[in-house]
Amino acid sequence: MTKAENGLESGGPAASGPPPAVCTRLLSKSFGAVAACDAVDIDIHRGEIHGILGENGAGKSTLMKMLIGLVVPDSGSILVDGEPARITDPVAAAALGIGMVHQHFSLVEALTVWENVALGDTGRLSRPGVRTAVGELSERYGLRIDPDALVADLPVGLRQRVEILKCLRREPDILIFDEPTSVLTPEESDDLFRSLRGVVEREGRSVALVSHKLTEMLDVTDRVTIMRNGLVVDQFVTAEANAGSLARAMVGRDVRLRGAEQMTPVDTGVRAVVDGGGSPPVLEFRKVEVGESGALLELDDLNFNLMAGEILGLAGVEGNGQRVIADLLSGLRNRYGGEILVNGSVVDVGQPGKALAAGIAVIPEDRHDSGVVLEMTVAENLMLSDPAGMSSHGVIDGSGLAEMADGLIERFSIMCTGPDAPMWTLSGGNQQRVVLAREMTAEPEVLVAAQPTRGLDVGAIEYMTDQLRQAAESGVGILLISSELDEILELADRVLVIYRGQVTGEMTRSEATREKIGRLMGGDIL
Amino acid sequence: MGGFLSAVWDVGTTDTAYTAAARFAVVLAFAATGEWVAERAGTLNISVEAMILAGAFAAAMGYHTTGSVAVGLLAGTVAGAAVASVQAEMSHRLTADQFVVGLTLNILILGVVGFLGSEWEPSTRTASVVEVPLLVDIPLVGPALFGQPWPFYLIYLVVPVFAWLVHRTRWGLEVRSVGENPQAADVSGIDVNLRRRQAIYLGGLSAGLGGGYLLLGQVGRFDPGIVAGRGFIALVAVIFGGWTLRGAIFGCLLFGSVLSFRLTLPGLGYELNNEMLSSLPALVTIVAMALFAHAVRQPEALARPFIRGLK
Amino acid sequence: MSARTAQGRVVEVVALYAGCGLAALVISGLIVEAVGADWSTVGGALLDGSVRKPGRWGGTIGVTVPLAMVAIGTIISTKVGLVNIGQEGQLLVGAAFATFASTRIPGPGPIVLVAILLAGIVGGAIWSGLAGGLRYWRKVPEVLTTLLLVSVASNLVGYGLKKPWLLLDSEAKRGNRNLVSEQLPADTRMPRITLFGNDFAISAFLAIAVVLLIGWMLNRTLWGYRLTVVGHNRRVARRFGISESVQGMVAMLASGGFAGLAGALMLTGGDFANYRMVSGFSVSIGWVGLLVALVANNRALAVIPMAFVFASLRTGSGFLASTGIERRVTDVVQGLIVLALLLPPAIMFIRERRRALAAAGSRV
Repeated sequence: MTKAENGLESGGPAASGPPPAVCTRLLSKSFGAVAACDAVDIDIHRGEIHGILGENGAGKSTLMKMLIGLVVPDSGSILVDGEPARITDPVAAAALGIGMVHQHFSLVEALTVWENVALGDTGRLSRPGVRTAVGELSERYGLRIDPDALVADLPVGLRQRVEILKCLRREPDILIFDEPTSVLTPEESDDLFRSLRGVVEREGRSVALVSHKLTEMLDVTDRVTIMRNGLVVDQFVTAEANAGSLARAMVGRDVRLRGAEQMTPVDTGVRAVVDGGGSPPVLEFRKVEVGESGALLELDDLNFNLMAGEILGLAGVEGNGQRVIADLLSGLRNRYGGEILVNGSVVDVGQPGKALAAGIAVIPEDRHDSGVVLEMTVAENLMLSDPAGMSSHGVIDGSGLAEMADGLIERFSIMCTGPDAPMWTLSGGNQQRVVLAREMTAEPEVLVAAQPTRGLDVGAIEYMTDQLRQAAESGVGILLISSELDEILELADRVLVIYRGQVTGEMTRSEATREKIGRLMGGDIL
Repeated sequence: MGGFLSAVWDVGTTDTAYTAAARFAVVLAFAATGEWVAERAGTLNISVEAMILAGAFAAAMGYHTTGSVAVGLLAGTVAGAAVASVQAEMSHRLTADQFVVGLTLNILILGVVGFLGSEWEPSTRTASVVEVPLLVDIPLVGPALFGQPWPFYLIYLVVPVFAWLVHRTRWGLEVRSVGENPQAADVSGIDVNLRRRQAIYLGGLSAGLGGGYLLLGQVGRFDPGIVAGRGFIALVAVIFGGWTLRGAIFGCLLFGSVLSFRLTLPGLGYELNNEMLSSLPALVTIVAMALFAHAVRQPEALARPFIRGLK
Repeated sequence: MSARTAQGRVVEVVALYAGCGLAALVISGLIVEAVGADWSTVGGALLDGSVRKPGRWGGTIGVTVPLAMVAIGTIISTKVGLVNIGQEGQLLVGAAFATFASTRIPGPGPIVLVAILLAGIVGGAIWSGLAGGLRYWRKVPEVLTTLLLVSVASNLVGYGLKKPWLLLDSEAKRGNRNLVSEQLPADTRMPRITLFGNDFAISAFLAIAVVLLIGWMLNRTLWGYRLTVVGHNRRVARRFGISESVQGMVAMLASGGFAGLAGALMLTGGDFANYRMVSGFSVSIGWVGLLVALVANNRALAVIPMAFVFASLRTGSGFLASTGIERRVTDVVQGLIVLALLLPPAIMFIRERRRALAAAGSRV
């Protein structure tokens, strides 16, 4: 299905009929070398729920942030009701009738519902006025809420209601929802969509629904635009689409940037170590649970094995527990239930340093958060995993350290002015190499690689994937956590799919297809 | 212990004790009310001590030059706001550390007024006592609350006005939101650091007025040591009061009573441990924080700078 | 990161510091002129009193020593990410412990002297340790507790000076009602030497050695390394098994210990209060030492010159009487200098952030 077949207008606003409520033309935005949005054209019409579907990093959020004024575009234009608009901040967006319900809540917990709804308004603050308005809105959209309740006391579903009411109170023509159901139970999601349908049909407003859940797109939207790598790759009228076609489009049937398809899929038999003869897995999760009782668990009865020399790909939409797993294995979480075993013996990863001592190396998702100390030097960052080895009687062996660092800088081709260069002077890719160098020289049993290629350029990505393969060949068990399907398909011997803290599917590389994984990621059970 | 209780009884039945307590408490209350606003907006403002001192000195100079108590008080208020401007601009525009700025201001202002005070030697007196008819006849507390120099009564204006500003106006709602969740406030279109600066300015006005009252309503003669840690006690009262204005005022009354104890007891013939009493506000606060640091909810973003995009 | 931009950055920083420092001096000059004095005579008197007149180095060095000790301790707690602003109190308690030890410990003078210094360290460490303990076990912000404990300390010392069984000199001066402690016997005082006509206590050498040692330890030992990791990134520290509370407690104890040592050195050095504990003994050395650390931007090597500059202001002020200007003018100069030197790092931070944002394309 091409764009033309879908009847997508090209060039300026449509000549016939009313102009779209909001449309973008050649809208582009780059962060450094990465094009988050590349010449994006999108039309959102009155009275429709318009789905915007894509994997993480596809550019959906950046696009929406440009519409709401949180990100300033590099080039291109935004037209509201056919008129060019300059949207510099959320206040300007609100004046144009664009409102957004944020993925990460913008509520102040210590304030009441009505105070939160009033926050960001202008004019005199009138408690009865706002309370009445909240009452009317709740009535109109079936979003019942107590205006005097403290937000801190509300469960997540109701907080989102407050967020929606706050947005609706400005009477926006276009409502943007960013992953609204990621924090909701299925029943709450149904309620939400029922209200949205009402908003659109009765009042002629438009809704832009950003999501990567296929079922939502199929059930709720009128039309779907699919983004990938910052580009609009396809558009469907929802009635003519099905899960298969959407999944194929989302994961990029005809975009082969990484060349994964050209490679022979890794045969699970190639590496003898997989299913190796009777030795225990290098890493095992037994009924691991994380989260507060009552709320949605972050990890829910999670079980899996990782064998020596195996690359186990953990696929899933971000925020489904991947980060918690990486944090656990980094020793950054105090409390968890169940057992984590390394080489068959239980390791209490809740104690700082225990996971490291047991041989778990980690390339964290956010290296600035728990991977490197930006203010310290390259050499100091390299010695983190074994400071005692670089010192005698508590005194750091300066020349030994420099020698070690020089060696690693050369071996891992780290571009920097030397071992004494502060970490923050290095580019992202080179910082990542420092992490890799440090973690690999610790001779780990297990290497957790969380989104290891995120934000890197093509050369650095290649380097990283080669290194991971080599590590696996030398017998390290690798847990590859990634929301990029290509990466998983290219590297993994076995694939697990995680959804809401649970494993929803497991398959070998030869059984894995994009469609299958894509659907599991969206919450479908096989 | 019995001796202590009888001392409490004796002091509790002496009306001059109430008058002294009210005088101590009211200076604290001016400062604490302003500090409360600043803290609700997210600044743990330790330069409140400097604000009071600057207020007292400016009030002295204002009175010295014009002979008018009102002008003196006005000058004190302006001086408090001037100190606030340095604190606000440096910590919430230039992103310097708020404690470092506050500490430096405390030392700088002490130096400035100490120097200028000894150079200019302002001569002052206390404002005249104005009794509120009828109310002043209430036994024990009547003279304390309604038989004071007239600037005292400004507290009856300042506290409700500040409470109204913070709790009833849009500005106050925004101030509270930037102290709790600046990221959320920012997304809602509020200029976080502007609100924080404004809250500090307001705190400076009130603390400066408190300084003016301290000089013209109470002490009558300028000395660089005039504030004697009252700013810190006011800060402590806000924390002790759990970041509610009511609690902060209660804290001021409590600490004011403790300070008046110290003055009143010798007159009644008691030996007392002066140092112990002076330490009480600090000790009570430390113990209270150690016990309730988990239970009492402080403004979520207190003492955390807001820079968009940085946590 | 080319050499050119690095060089440009250095030029920028130097220019900023020079500009801000100059502004502070100009404003100070204006204030002096405003009260009808002449800034050049005032400046000359300050120089005379601190370094220019014969023998004046000695007194200035005597003030530099405790300032440097307080500052180096502050650097340790700042390194681990704690805000200790209670050095004034820690110094007082240290001095009180030292005084108490001096009257209670028998033995030959030099040994007693060492015991006095150790007692000072212990006293200061207890006082900061209280705040550290509350920070790590009860989550009470250390900024508040260290600050509050200053007033408690000064009251405690005031109380001690009234009680013969604590600090009050029980024999001499019974008649007058001065609250002072017994004077240190001559053999437990810090020996003094004379170099180039300047007479000072040999604790100056101790202080230089300590500053250099701590500076070296912070940069070259595992201890300093761990402190730095915790101070910059607690999560990285945790991942690599470095305990935040252990490192934080040790840093806090060390920080207070050095303030306490400063108190003990003031007592035994002879440049303050004539080898006695008196009320108001600390004379703001704790506060000013904290400022020294701030102005030195937490670099150990900068502590000694900065402490010397601030000490010069203090000793120089003794010569202001002849100019007819109040000696407190030095407090103003000192405060303005500190305020001015806070600006460059803040301005640099904002500029660098702006550049980073421009490079990343105003990511919000």
